[in-house]
Amino acid sequence: MIIKLQRIEVQSRKDLEMIDITDRVEKVVAESGATDGMALVMTTHTSSGLLVTEGIECLERDVLAHLERLAPKDPPPGASGYWHNRPLDFDGRLGFNAGDHLKSILGGIHCYFPIENGRLVRGGRQKLYFVEYDGPLARTVVIQVIGERNQSPAAE
Amino acid sequence: MRGYDFHTHPVLVREMVARHPELQAAARETFYIGNTFQPLETFLLELDAAELDKAVLLPIDATTSRGKKVYSNEQVAELCGMSTRFVGFASVDPHDPQAPQNLEYAIRELGLRGLKLAPPMQEFFPDESRLFPLYRKATELGIPILFHAGMSWEPGSRLKYGHPLRFEDVAAEFPTLRIVLAHLAWPWVVEAVALALKYPNVYLDTSALYFDNPRDFLRFAMTHQVPLTVFERSLRHQLVFGSNYPRVEIKNMARCVRALGFSDECLRLIFETNAETLLGGAR
Repeated sequence: MIIKLQRIEVQSRKDLEMIDITDRVEKVVAESGATDGMALVMTTHTSSGLLVTEGIECLERDVLAHLERLAPKDPPPGASGYWHNRPLDFDGRLGFNAGDHLKSILGGIHCYFPIENGRLVRGGRQKLYFVEYDGPLARTVVIQVIGERNQSPAAE
Repeated sequence: MRGYDFHTHPVLVREMVARHPELQAAARETFYIGNTFQPLETFLLELDAAELDKAVLLPIDATTSRGKKVYSNEQVAELCGMSTRFVGFASVDPHDPQAPQNLEYAIRELGLRGLKLAPPMQEFFPDESRLFPLYRKATELGIPILFHAGMSWEPGSRLKYGHPLRFEDVAAEFPTLRIVLAHLAWPWVVEAVALALKYPNVYLDTSALYFDNPRDFLRFAMTHQVPLTVFERSLRHQLVFGSNYPRVEIKNMARCVRALGFSDECLRLIFETNAETLLGGAR
């Protein structure tokens, strides 16, 4: 039984951004030695997320624009405004990024993939994205591989 | 991409904390901020996201009042050596009789460009006459002094040290010394504006955020507490953009200052020209 956990750092460069991390996760899986099993991927931040979609730039723009429509950065006026608009005494700064946290909740913070023959099982068009909702920041993504090494000739 | 953020604190730069472990406690316990340490690249990307070129780095020497420095002058100079986008200011302990000499060393030998003082954290009233030799030295060196003014977030910091009227004697006694009152001296914005209207050597920076969010707070402070027209018509040469990063992101403050309703001419003054004037010309 192989259980390996690895953290990778993802440097976002913009306020809102989708960053393809598929190859980095594949590399962690390959290095784990597991040929069959599963990979769990999670961002450790509450204003970022993980999403799977087709790896094309136009769709990246649509995903970000749609999430911004659902949970805008600027607080809506009046009674529907965000409560998260106040000094955070435990943090030494103000919290006013409720829209970014809500995007994270809507999009989710983790992904699951089966592993077969040492690689992620995914559709031909599926890419795994780290999604930045409040960048630029250096972020941490955790990858846990759970599986076993199949010694059969087919897996060699 | 041009323009300055005149008010930043490099307290979360990971490379500097790795080199100088004491900066971790300075950030957490003295400056009081809980965010994760970030690579230097994040700071520069944050400037990019705000479409600004340069940042003024502000240390605080709180040796007497807190037993710590939030960056030494040497550390600020070291960080400035890592990027041409940084403009380093010095800080000195106002309770140290050697403060004028220490300032002179930081400017002439370390290449720093201004002085930062934080009366609430350093626990002094800016109009105490024992500080005047320091102000005289800053005048002689031709550098600006950026004072924390108004409310302070750090626990233990008293508001009384930041009241803008305690800066009047400094402005009056040193008419050629360029003084920046940070944070619009909030909540005393009207008083700070009165000082700036009366004394042309008094500047204000925009790094004010004490409730809600940058959009709503700045709208309150700069259109309701004082009409925007006062800043545009009377103080356009005495207002500089500052974010107070990393207590608030540069991108958010810049976007909201740009959206307040200033003319393009005034925005250029706020983001660029006035900062260069304060620094004595761009370098």
